[in-house]
Amino acid sequence: MANVDIVIEICGMAGEGVISGGEILARCMSDQGFDIMSFDSYPAEIRGFGKCVAHTRIGSKPILSPGKYSDILISLNDKHAIEQLPALRETGVVIYDSMPRAYLEEDESIAGWIEPGMTSYGVPLLQLSHKAAGDARGRNMVALGALAALFHINPDAMTATLKKRYAKKNQIVIDNNVNSFLEGFNWTRENIVKTDRLSFGGVRAKAADKAIMSGNQAVVRAALDSNIHLYAGYPITPATSIMEYLARQLPLSGGVIVQTEDEISAIGHVIGAGFAGKRAMTATSGPGLCLMSEFINYAAMAECPAVIVNSQRGGPSTGLPTKTEQSDLNIALFGASGDSPRIVLAPRSVAECHSFTCMAFHLAEKYQTPVILLLDFFLSRSLKNIDHPKLPDKKWLASNLAPSAADLKDYKRYKITNSGVSPRALPGTPGGMHVATGLEHNEKGKPVYDARTHTAMTAKRYRKLDHAAREIPRPLWTGDKKDIAVGVLTWGSTAGAAMEAVDRARAAGVRAAAMSPACLAPLHTADIEAFTAACRSVLVPEGNFTGQFANLIDGAVTRQFHRLSEIPCAPIPAEDIFDKIMDIAKIAKGRKVKA
Amino acid sequence: MAEPKPFYLDEKLKEVAARGYLDYRSHELPTWCPGCGYFGMTQALIEVAHELGIPHHDMGIVSGIGCAGRAPIFYDAYGFHTIHGRALPVASGLKLGNRALSVFVITGDGDCLGIGGGHLAHVARKNVDITCFLYDNNIYGLTKGQSSPTTPLGQPTSSHPYGNPDAPLNPMALALTYGATFAARCFAGDVAHMKGVFKAAIEHKGFSFVHCLSPCVTFDKENITWKRMRGLLADPPPNHDTASLSEAMRLAQDPRYITGLFFQDKSRLDYQSYLDQALKDFKG
Repeated sequence: MANVDIVIEICGMAGEGVISGGEILARCMSDQGFDIMSFDSYPAEIRGFGKCVAHTRIGSKPILSPGKYSDILISLNDKHAIEQLPALRETGVVIYDSMPRAYLEEDESIAGWIEPGMTSYGVPLLQLSHKAAGDARGRNMVALGALAALFHINPDAMTATLKKRYAKKNQIVIDNNVNSFLEGFNWTRENIVKTDRLSFGGVRAKAADKAIMSGNQAVVRAALDSNIHLYAGYPITPATSIMEYLARQLPLSGGVIVQTEDEISAIGHVIGAGFAGKRAMTATSGPGLCLMSEFINYAAMAECPAVIVNSQRGGPSTGLPTKTEQSDLNIALFGASGDSPRIVLAPRSVAECHSFTCMAFHLAEKYQTPVILLLDFFLSRSLKNIDHPKLPDKKWLASNLAPSAADLKDYKRYKITNSGVSPRALPGTPGGMHVATGLEHNEKGKPVYDARTHTAMTAKRYRKLDHAAREIPRPLWTGDKKDIAVGVLTWGSTAGAAMEAVDRARAAGVRAAAMSPACLAPLHTADIEAFTAACRSVLVPEGNFTGQFANLIDGAVTRQFHRLSEIPCAPIPAEDIFDKIMDIAKIAKGRKVKA
Repeated sequence: MAEPKPFYLDEKLKEVAARGYLDYRSHELPTWCPGCGYFGMTQALIEVAHELGIPHHDMGIVSGIGCAGRAPIFYDAYGFHTIHGRALPVASGLKLGNRALSVFVITGDGDCLGIGGGHLAHVARKNVDITCFLYDNNIYGLTKGQSSPTTPLGQPTSSHPYGNPDAPLNPMALALTYGATFAARCFAGDVAHMKGVFKAAIEHKGFSFVHCLSPCVTFDKENITWKRMRGLLADPPPNHDTASLSEAMRLAQDPRYITGLFFQDKSRLDYQSYLDQALKDFKG
């Protein structure tokens, strides 16, 4: 059985159906049992003629990263698509409109830019769209028809996906889309002789029922699965869609959505609802997390649960709102005055965006502490097909340690215990009255300022993290287990690319392994030590300039690291990590070894 | 002359306990200065809560930072001593988290109108069903006498020794502008009147704003004093229409200390009720 791994880009102008075309393609291929990952890019402006690229990687094996290069480029707009050509492989295929509306000068048509080694197929997209549906809007579907004909995608599967996707629309919309698709499919089959070698045929993929979602959608699903009662937030890219999805769904289950005046108020609402014993969440990005710092500090001191999703974007300050980066690690870990414990989880995939959010609600409630989930623009926005997410374990839905009758006789809200967790009375409980305060306090919650209490209470608050570490999944270790030439240590969304790079390096004969922690606070230091001890060299790739994660483990493990700290305004490609591994292993073919 | 009746402490304590107010008091002694009006306001809230039959375990008292911020520590209730300026959002979250609770915000002039000035507008216009007591002493007391957003223009303070150059805000006019559906003012020196105002504020369904006047006896011994304040007290005119926002606004501009109910809108749904109604309408 052959394996396929093909990256398809549809490129055009905003409004030409680029993104919807990409989505249909991804859904169809997922339904047929392929693994898919999509990461689209579009302009920050709402209106205008900006460039849109729907980027989808489709494979018969698990897809771990979006892929740096494309194999097939579909041009709905040659001006934009020409700019996209550098991302096309030297042996890539271009599908373009052979009969566009306007006359194009020689260098304005993508056909003139095709390099030797590439293949191009001209399809009269506009003409066929007019023929099928009477207007130009079906060009994206005609192109998908051509794609299906050329690369052996089952047309029935595609029309089935189309019908499913547009089931709620008018019949005419469904008909126009399906007819455009079939027009493109039939025309291409009759008129074009295939000369390239790419094909989805011959792959025995089994039809699959998978969920397709983005990281943000996975967070929303998890929040609902975890019985969220209140969401408070302020709009900010790329976290806004979490609020928008929840605004539709949360009220239907009796929950409350609050659009607040700023991020300070948002986290204030979350802490207030948490004090009431309800599950609450907010989502933001770097600038909002800065504003929340004081309240996160308060939640740590007053021991209130709070779930904060931070989807990182380029920074500092307003930065690059629509570009991905992993540069909020420092503020998530250390954005505080005093010794301020918090749990910081870093999902590595869309599936983990779900499972880690469920875990975040549980941990926040059980350990009465703020939990920050670090997503990034890429994780938030990329689409992945995953197994339908499982509901959280019942134990995770009632995690609060309530005081016993004996506790309530002489209630100590901040009782010092072995685990650091004190029984927490919720408002409305007779006998459990107390004051939650951001001042240092004794076991009863009374403000006190002596060194002994301050030390005991600080230790108690940190002890909770040690206990939390025992139930948080240990770091993920893939690849070789011993005699490792190059070990890749990374975090968050870069983990997928690292694992893929390690797979490729091992296939190329290098002993390699990848490790990524699920949580950055508390940090599973012993596991990281064991991993680095098994590696001759350690490479730390991450999406920030200063190497924030490398700096973190530098303090925890005595070790020299090779750093790949980059801010390419895109996810770090597996290809780049692979190259670096090969450099370090000094066996890269035909490449100079960097000093 | 008859011998005065002997006075026994435990008997007196029993007598006080029998009134039922002690349930609402914690064992902490207030840390305010002797002569401060906040003692009276604390007592008034205790008495009103007791008289309204609100169990102390159903009371959520949320505060920020400052002299007023310490208030929850002196109640035996669910207290929430939060961070500077942010009591209102937390209180809103608490109420939306558990609608069965009676949620009170105790905030100060610096807390509510200075650092947290942005929140009053939005919690008020959302009409969340909480009661906000603004303890206004016209000064930053806990940090020892700097100008606050309600310090009169020209008053020398420790941060403005040559006179406060900033014009004071008008809390009542702000609350009315922001859409508070209940706005009233009271004076710390008149507990009986204050209790009436508190009671009406707590019973109001929606965002209630109570401007509580209390002179700072430590950092302003010359300007806004008990004596001067008392002299400037006035009732609203007998024909004042509390349903009229424009009349309330005019009253708010009066340079005297007018105490009593300024405005009440009984028709608007509070935030939670609005959400419930909207969902019901959607589901048909």
